[in-house]
Amino acid sequence: MNHAARRFRLWLAALLLGLAGLAAAQGNLEINTPAISALRQSMQQRHAQLAPLYASGAVGLARDGTVALRDASRVPLAQRAQANTLIAAENADRAALYREIARANGHPEWEADVRATFAQRWIDRAQKGWWVQGGGGWVQK
Amino acid sequence: MVTATCPPACSPPERAFPRLQRVVRHALACALLSVLASTSAARELTLEVEQLVHPSFVARDLRLTLDAGNEAASVRIGTLDVAGRRLRGLRLDCPAFHLTEETLSCRGGRLHAPGLPAGAALSLAADPQQRTGTLRLTLAAGETVALEALAGGRLRADFRGLDAARLRGLLPQLAEWQPAGRLNGYAEYTPADGGQGSLALALKAGGFATADGLHAAEGVGATMAASARKRAGGWDWQADLKWSAGEAYFHPLYLVAGSRLQAAGQLVGERLSVTQATLQTEGVRTIAAAGEYDLAAGVLRAAGLTVADADLAVVGPQYLAPLLTPAQAERLRFAGHASGGLRIEEGRVVGIDAGFDEAGFSLAGGELSFGPLSGSLLWRADSLTEAMLTVAGGRWEKLALGSFELAARLHGTQVEIPRLRIPLLDGALVFDKLELRRGEEGWSGAGSLVVEPLSVPLLTAALGLPEMAGVLSAALPGLRVSPGEIVLDGTLVVSVFDGYLQVTELRLLEPFGVAAYLYADIDARHIDLAQLTDTFSFGSVTGYVDASVGGLELVRWRPVRFDARVRSSPGSYPRRISQRAVQNISALGGAGAVAAIQRSMLGFFESFGYREIGLSCVLADGICLMGGLADGSPAGGFALVRGGGIPALNVIGYNRRVDWQELIDRLQRVIESNAPPVVR
Repeated sequence: MNHAARRFRLWLAALLLGLAGLAAAQGNLEINTPAISALRQSMQQRHAQLAPLYASGAVGLARDGTVALRDASRVPLAQRAQANTLIAAENADRAALYREIARANGHPEWEADVRATFAQRWIDRAQKGWWVQGGGGWVQK
Repeated sequence: MVTATCPPACSPPERAFPRLQRVVRHALACALLSVLASTSAARELTLEVEQLVHPSFVARDLRLTLDAGNEAASVRIGTLDVAGRRLRGLRLDCPAFHLTEETLSCRGGRLHAPGLPAGAALSLAADPQQRTGTLRLTLAAGETVALEALAGGRLRADFRGLDAARLRGLLPQLAEWQPAGRLNGYAEYTPADGGQGSLALALKAGGFATADGLHAAEGVGATMAASARKRAGGWDWQADLKWSAGEAYFHPLYLVAGSRLQAAGQLVGERLSVTQATLQTEGVRTIAAAGEYDLAAGVLRAAGLTVADADLAVVGPQYLAPLLTPAQAERLRFAGHASGGLRIEEGRVVGIDAGFDEAGFSLAGGELSFGPLSGSLLWRADSLTEAMLTVAGGRWEKLALGSFELAARLHGTQVEIPRLRIPLLDGALVFDKLELRRGEEGWSGAGSLVVEPLSVPLLTAALGLPEMAGVLSAALPGLRVSPGEIVLDGTLVVSVFDGYLQVTELRLLEPFGVAAYLYADIDARHIDLAQLTDTFSFGSVTGYVDASVGGLELVRWRPVRFDARVRSSPGSYPRRISQRAVQNISALGGAGAVAAIQRSMLGFFESFGYREIGLSCVLADGICLMGGLADGSPAGGFALVRGGGIPALNVIGYNRRVDWQELIDRLQRVIESNAPPVVR
């Protein structure tokens, strides 16, 4: 087996192990608490305002589980500050959601894993035409 | 054809004028000699000059071609260094060229240069002997630039309708800003008194936009008047900029026209210093600044900014909220005035001074507010400083906070508050040794909290609850703050209804988010039911109960989860329950709860004896799973009240799953209506 193939198998093994660890955490990703419901409701209400920003490409779904202002020029000048406020509020809710899910699972230390899993989930579920951040930068779905 | 190549002319700029003349003369002499030396009647003359130096420019690889027969000329310049910029590939074609000892003219010329439309129309009329002349460029309809060389070495440029986008050709660093708009005005330079220049520009329909949209402006109307005077080693300059129309976005700030900036300073080499700058803008009496900017490195070496008498109601939403708490920007409200200063060194904020005058801050909805507050706050990046604020009051939910003083020590990202006493009703919240540190995720730290005794009658009145007697106090030595969580290790005690409530495991999660919730365990001992039922108009029950509420979670002060158990306190005391209380308990239990006594008999007695009361409710997902006394419950039901004495009665519940909201609604109806419930 050549060096590249060995390395590939090593990576694959590491990936599978990582996924196994994630699966343990994922088991309770759907956990619901009143706080999680309140956060989801808040995010759902905000979504109506964020959806046009996703569609226009002004806001994209970042790799770290946040939403990011990737191209402000697609927002009318007078609305850019408001878009920024929306993004900050959404990210505050998302951070609280990841913390709360980890906490509700009884493992506050899972927060980073929860965040990473959700980041991928948001990206996977993004609608066609939305911008998502991959390893190589922003791409349009 | 004759070609004349002359040696390069190198000269320091300050001595360039005489040198330039010598070089040109030398070159022309070379060319003339070459022409004279030719044998046939030459129709074309080509002059090549490697370098031409002038105080304002240096031209290299210059090639002048004269067509004597057609009176045409063309000039090509390889590179032209002017005002610190290098332009490449300039070409001037002149079909009507005239050169005499007194006149140099070009009519119907075309200039090709970077940033200009192809073949911009050009006309030139000059007097070589007087070294005066005018060059007019028509770049497009209504877009002209006139360059004049006047007597005494004065130079002047007039702009009419100049497209600001063309500046990108001259100043490549502007390219990423995509400037737009039309410029009118002039720039003038005179070598008198060592050299001085002035500039007056008016911009209409102006704007700019970076590709990411984080910096942009539209519909800008502005004027600029500036002047500069040369002195040993550099320039003294001053400028006055008025922004009269349009809007701009400098991430994350949205700005509208109506500001004026006046500034003065020096330019020495690549170092631009601002000795004094003042900005007039809405909501602030004055903003003054001074600083030094390194143009070569693009770094603000040092700067100071002072803001005097800012109206927080104006500058708060516009500047402070977007910069400091963008997530809460829509909810934050400001009032009062503030002044402050900012010190920057090597591009880093190293000092902040702030003074507050009757300032107020609140969250829309009224759940939290502070103010008016006055005082000062000093912060230095690398030394210990102090903040001293006097807060006249505040509000937390329905509770009004009294006036207090906040003295804090600040060191880098750390805040130490040795002691903070916030009066609340007739008691106080007293924080001790509170040490907080600001990290990337938010604040974290520790301290302790003591609640000095509060009268429960005042507390219940403030919260809009039926009045209760008692006292609330707390000793919470383990106050810990981390992003999204405040933990209060210790005990909060409320003496009420002749007994007491003990609250432990207090935790406040996501205190400023939409999902703010409180977690606690409550133990109650020896609660006098007579006082309790009287307070809530629930009928009358004599006796005492103990209760435990484990894992209580309140979201926005509403219980969403707990495991509660209530049971008669041990001991010997009168135990009676009124007919009305029985009816209410039965009604609360819904259709499933019945009083185990002939309903017709119920009306004959005012009160009944009982041996024990027991009730449990495990709340989760909006459903209360009810239970009662462990012993004495009939099959399929659970005893809430076990009778004793004469007449005795049992109250039995059969419906174990009760909708919590429905239960609360019923309880409220019972308490509010004070009407006899219907027993079916």
